Amino acid sequence: MSPLPLHLLWLLLAPLALGLLAWASPPRHSGLVLLVVLPLPLMALWLLLGIEAGPMAGRLTLGPLTLHWRLDGLAALLGLLTQLLLLASALYAVGYARATILGRRAYAWLWPLLGGLGLGLGLIWIAADLLLLYVGLELMGLCAVGMMLLPGSAEALSAGLRYLLFALVGSLTWLLGIALLLGAWGRLDLAGLGAVAQPDPVTQIAVALLASGLLLKAAIVPLHSWLAPVHGSAWTPVSAIHGALVVKASFFILLLLWRLLLPEAIAGAWALGVLGSLAVLWGGVQACRAAGLKQLVAWSTIGQLGYLMLAFPLLAGTSAGVAAMAWQATWVQLAGHALAKAAMFMAAGNLLLSTGAQRLEGLTGTSRRLPLSLMTFGLAAVTIMGLPPSAGFTAKWLWLQASLAAGQWPWVLVLALGTLLSAAYVFRVLRCSFVEDVPEPVFRELPLAMELIALALALAAIGLGLAAAWPLAALAPAGLP
Amino acid sequence: MAPIEAWGLAGLLLLTAGFCLLQRHLWRACLGLVAFALLMALAWLLLGAPWLALAEALLGALLTGGTLLWTLRGRGALPRLAPVDETPQRARSTAPLRWLLILSWLGLAGIALIWLLGVDALTPPASATTLLAATGVLIMGLGLWAFTIQRHLLRRLLAFNLLGSGVFLLLAGLAGPVAEVRGLILVGLVVALLGSILGAVLLLRLHAQAGQITLSGASPAGSGSGP
Repeated sequence: MSPLPLHLLWLLLAPLALGLLAWASPPRHSGLVLLVVLPLPLMALWLLLGIEAGPMAGRLTLGPLTLHWRLDGLAALLGLLTQLLLLASALYAVGYARATILGRRAYAWLWPLLGGLGLGLGLIWIAADLLLLYVGLELMGLCAVGMMLLPGSAEALSAGLRYLLFALVGSLTWLLGIALLLGAWGRLDLAGLGAVAQPDPVTQIAVALLASGLLLKAAIVPLHSWLAPVHGSAWTPVSAIHGALVVKASFFILLLLWRLLLPEAIAGAWALGVLGSLAVLWGGVQACRAAGLKQLVAWSTIGQLGYLMLAFPLLAGTSAGVAAMAWQATWVQLAGHALAKAAMFMAAGNLLLSTGAQRLEGLTGTSRRLPLSLMTFGLAAVTIMGLPPSAGFTAKWLWLQASLAAGQWPWVLVLALGTLLSAAYVFRVLRCSFVEDVPEPVFRELPLAMELIALALALAAIGLGLAAAWPLAALAPAGLP
Repeated sequence: MAPIEAWGLAGLLLLTAGFCLLQRHLWRACLGLVAFALLMALAWLLLGAPWLALAEALLGALLTGGTLLWTLRGRGALPRLAPVDETPQRARSTAPLRWLLILSWLGLAGIALIWLLGVDALTPPASATTLLAATGVLIMGLGLWAFTIQRHLLRRLLAFNLLGSGVFLLLAGLAGPVAEVRGLILVGLVVALLGSILGAVLLLRLHAQAGQITLSGASPAGSGSGP
């Protein structure tokens, strides 16, 4: 048990410090941002490589309070993913600010909020007690709301206010759950709680409350209504990081607590799996009906998050082999979707920015004039649809095997229908963009960097499918009890 | 029996909460929140947590209450909000959903409370902590009811603050004012403050841009797009 090592502390605080620095003088050149931010993912990579020696854990004493943290393979992997996506988002934001007219003050505010988001996410990945998780969750949530409001239009304001109210109520539900756990078992650290807590009614109620707060923040059907409007008006780099990581952090916490407190609650796990299935189907149907490209991508996020919920029934009370497959599938899907969804939001943002359109019909002629952006969109869609050799395919393959091995056939149906629906909405976009019989529209030139970042993320999502063995190796030993 | 001052405090807390949530005159409702936060500080003193009382007075009463009052005063070019909330309450058709939410929240909290404290919790509470936990449940009920039925965003922010205070009371009543509880409540107070500031600033800008003080007109299609 040691206090937080300095390099980990630096990795946590550096995003916020850099964000504050950029707030004072907003960056105008992506080269500078790359130079300054690049050490962060490198440090995260170094931490991940060092984790093979064994997970680290420790405690931090603040007066009478003791905070617990631990860093295992999963946390290090998610940390690396976070730093990479923060870097991509920051680089994209610089280009975005040059390609569009952003309010000067709003653009300056983007940076500390992005930094605060980085700190919040970092805290969530390494937290090993409920107080630290609470701090991370709230920091992340408030920064996310703040970032969504930056456009300042009436739509953005009212969508953001709705998101704020949802997030605040979600955090009170979460706090009530913690209150019951603390009242029943008298401690907040996860390891101690796991040792003493019995699955009695109070624990069940507490986890139900925690779960509903987290599902609200993770936009799982039926608590998803805030997500699509909020993305419709948000800036592209903000949408990218939000769709990629923010909603998944809530899922991560829920899975962590569920496996700790109610590992054998099969009925509850099935209920979560059914909610996830509904999310897959409803998100897919709505994405097929969406009028705007960004709404389509946002609804697709809701559907893809639903897949993650299949982890609960496949992990609860199943054999070790099934649980191992489901566990790996979950994290491959999370990482693959994070990369692909950020790429998809950025590619969609590029298409919208250069055509000036909001609706899908405005994309006519893009296949010839904007081949790079459209190709990026298509490559990201390969992961979203789960075609080989992407990470999405690996994850769905593992889930399929796990469902069949566990005899939980309903999920097979959900996986198949979800794939069909995602193919349907992706081809809707492609079909619109290959239409040629319209008067030559006017296209705007975009900085090449914006296209290349999106392309790099989309390729990374496919590459993750090809090289899934390495991250899976980092997960396996620490993941399962 | 709990000491008489605990009973008095619990009664006053409930009265102020009710006043704050029912009052359509926004300035008075915000003053009600300030009074409520000061009473909460007294409750923390009663439980033997003077630093928490100070934090509640500073963060809850002074800063959160002050922010909301400042919102009503208006500032600079932004037009002022109307002093009285004239918006109708939500339609009766949504009532079943609303009551389902309120009753399931309160029911879950109540069952857990009785399970933890024993059936004695149903008789007049024996100690100040138990009494405050029960008061917390009632205040949560009031806050939830107001949050779900009202449309004016400032009043929903008030309801959120009261709902949060109810959760804090339940937390402190269940676990006593130990270090973890103080830490959680402190974080909760900061979150409530930041959320209130963010909500109030947004409300002012939304009001200035689109004349809206509710979310009801804000369908995803963007019917609230101002001139």
